[in-house]
Amino acid sequence: MATTFLQFCTVVQKIRETRGSNAKTRLFADYLAALETADELNLAAQFIGEGAFSELSGKRASVGSRTSGLAAAEFCEIDYDRVFKPCRTATGSSSETIERLMENIPAAIKKRVPENLSLDDIQEIAVNLYSASGRDQKKEILHNTWRKMAPIEIKYFIRMLGQGSLRIGFETRSVVASIAKAFGRDREAVRYAHMITGSLGKTAALAKENRLDEARFTLYTPLSFMLASPIESRAVENLAQYVAEEKFDGMRAQLHVDGDTIKIFSRDLNDITNSFPDIVEFFSQRELPATVFDGEICVYKDDTILPFQLLQKRMGIKKPGKKVLSQYPVLFIAYDLLYTDDEPIFHLKLTERRALLEDVAGKYTLPITSQNSLENEDDVDTLFKRALEHGNEGLMLKLKESVYEYGQRKKSWLKVKKPGGSFDTIMMYAHAGSGKRGGTYSDFTLGISVKDDERYEEEFIPIGKAYGGYSDDELKRMNRMIKEITVERYGPTLGLLPKLVVEIEFDEVQVNKRTKAGYTLRFPRFRAIRWDLGPDDVDTLSDVEEYYKQFIEKKRLPQHKNPSFTFE
Amino acid sequence: MKFQKTGYHGLYFPELGISLDGYHPKAEQTFVSHAHADHMPRNRATRACATKATLELLKLRGYKGSETVLDFSEKLELPKCTVTLYPAGHILGSAMIYVESDAGSLLYTGDYRTPPSPATEGFESPTSADFLITEATFGLPIYKWKSYEELTKEIQNFALETLQAGETPIFLAYNLGKAQEIMHLLAPLRHPVMIHGAGYKLCSVYDAHGIDLGNYSAYDRGTCEGKILIAPSSALSSGFASNVKKTKVAYCSGWAANESRRTQLTVDKLIPISDHLDFFELIDFCKKLNPGKVYITHTPNPAVVQHYLEQENINSAYLEMEAEPED
Repeated sequence: MATTFLQFCTVVQKIRETRGSNAKTRLFADYLAALETADELNLAAQFIGEGAFSELSGKRASVGSRTSGLAAAEFCEIDYDRVFKPCRTATGSSSETIERLMENIPAAIKKRVPENLSLDDIQEIAVNLYSASGRDQKKEILHNTWRKMAPIEIKYFIRMLGQGSLRIGFETRSVVASIAKAFGRDREAVRYAHMITGSLGKTAALAKENRLDEARFTLYTPLSFMLASPIESRAVENLAQYVAEEKFDGMRAQLHVDGDTIKIFSRDLNDITNSFPDIVEFFSQRELPATVFDGEICVYKDDTILPFQLLQKRMGIKKPGKKVLSQYPVLFIAYDLLYTDDEPIFHLKLTERRALLEDVAGKYTLPITSQNSLENEDDVDTLFKRALEHGNEGLMLKLKESVYEYGQRKKSWLKVKKPGGSFDTIMMYAHAGSGKRGGTYSDFTLGISVKDDERYEEEFIPIGKAYGGYSDDELKRMNRMIKEITVERYGPTLGLLPKLVVEIEFDEVQVNKRTKAGYTLRFPRFRAIRWDLGPDDVDTLSDVEEYYKQFIEKKRLPQHKNPSFTFE
Repeated sequence: MKFQKTGYHGLYFPELGISLDGYHPKAEQTFVSHAHADHMPRNRATRACATKATLELLKLRGYKGSETVLDFSEKLELPKCTVTLYPAGHILGSAMIYVESDAGSLLYTGDYRTPPSPATEGFESPTSADFLITEATFGLPIYKWKSYEELTKEIQNFALETLQAGETPIFLAYNLGKAQEIMHLLAPLRHPVMIHGAGYKLCSVYDAHGIDLGNYSAYDRGTCEGKILIAPSSALSSGFASNVKKTKVAYCSGWAANESRRTQLTVDKLIPISDHLDFFELIDFCKKLNPGKVYITHTPNPAVVQHYLEQENINSAYLEMEAEPED
């Protein structure tokens, strides 16, 4: 018997309610094993691990939580602002709120007649949403779909439209394990096939038909990236097993080339070739045979790597003009080789891949990262300092014996990053948390002082929003304090008296003209709650401006001595 | 009708000379709706008028003041008003307080549950009132409870399936009310139950009032494996049954309706069973009683309830009771 979307959702809910990854894996493996058609298998694996669309398709349904929330309020015949929003605040989840309103509200119950939609039907609806333009069209499709669904289908359908995980404690690794278990295949073989195909659906189908060995790399189809873990969490026992490279202040990219056909992919596997015609030009001149590199795109001018902030000016632009190209020239610096001489080489050790990379780089004159051997902590410190002087983010330590594997592979790659800057800020607004922090105020808008600043009438203006870096106890204590200093309520948001001072840490300051301050912080998080400080101790907008100025104008060590990459 | 806040969560009616769920020095009589701490007089030397079961529970929880028993439906004539208690269906002894006076009639619900919890005296209400002061703990349309029949099945099945798998079921339930309700629903299984100390001492009042709590004893760490265990949610972090290797934990509360509680508490099952009425019952109740004015208390979302009452042409206001300092 064919599976229905309702059955799929029931299994998903059961996985959500089950503790222990083995038990979760078993549940999904049993479900996959019982599916009859390759099509269903493909969609089931895709839906649970990637979303309504496969990652490779690069498509999104583009249904935001406001669109689905407004559509749901209308469907349930309730007021969006007065009823839906408080409900969402209480649950901390838009999709869960919609599920329960669909279940409870008489007007919604009357409209819904579950029709046992198939997985294919769901895919088709997602495609319709993708092609639909504007909120009204999308709303109509959502309404028509919900009429045919049970509440639990509606919840997971909405989550799938957001792409990515379904938030059931079941990530890609578990889906891969389930596929292996369902068809009695080797887990490593399944994982490998997934890296090659970039698709859980295809991997599942290959596993079922015992054709995993057919999963072959094809040029111009991006491979999932290998990621690094922060070094804090992974003590390094023997530094000599690692080599160090500078961690560039740029954008990770994978470059596929064969002659004059070049494709560049971003870390989320999107094709970004059009944004970088200068890189395309650079490689097509060199007439390489089929080759795939992993590396970094950096703005590089006058022998110096320039800040990521300048690269950002290129990232959004699909067809950059001459002016942008000459203002922000970029360079692709390779640090790994994944395909050469007509075969994939990610199963080779790093040292072997590096040797081949050096050969290719030498032959075709390509920039590649400098690699340094390590003997002790002092070496790490020296190299780290130099990386920062170059304007780079820090170091990457790579295990010499490691093969290239997608995802975070334990201690294979480690990143040593510079500590971020910090500001003392005032807590301006508290926002109700979502997900596992639902029901508490866990997200905070933090402000800096402008009371002596003639450009502003306010005392404080927002500089960033942070939702992490505090302990559970601190969160409780803050929530108690927040209750006392609340002066206004805007649905899920509380306006606060300027009392609570928070020291926040961030990676970088960025210019953002759309904000009141004109700046935003990259990765803001709590460093400490300063119970000892008051509103007069808060840093000012001038402090932020000064920090940015110093960072951008900081003299960056040119590359001619001890370079972070070589380019002969 | 004039009233002012008093005590922790209480109200004082100067014209009537009484206070409800809170002590006031000028009140001739203080009525207590039920024995939960947020309704209980904080000042232990005060007087309390309540049902027999409520007074017995109050005493076990440390109340030492003077007592006046008032049975359900029995009218207590005071100089300026007449007071009647109606069974509220919330926990054993819980009452809604109905006050008749020259200023009009008032129904103060305390905490209430309709349909009533099976471990209570039931639910009954006067047919009309000029003023209604109602709790609205679950005042959002995302809260709608399953029937007790379904809930009983869910609770019994969780216990049976866990035991059959050779594991020990733990129900996390508040010491007074919820714990005994769960025990009552599990009683037909006749499987030995052990309940955490703080809840255990209150069970005798339920026994005395004829509520079957099954085959139970006080929690004993050494012998608790294989029994059905009942404990407040705070107990798990302080080592409750931590010697038992295989346990399955169910969290029993109205708040279990929210999925976020699962990860916050790390439990195996969420059982949304509440001793408060749900949103839909609340609106229905207000419609049926059709009072001149509704005061809404005990809710973070008064505006939502007011919005729905407005659609029914019922006049309402929010009565904030939280965060009041103790006298």
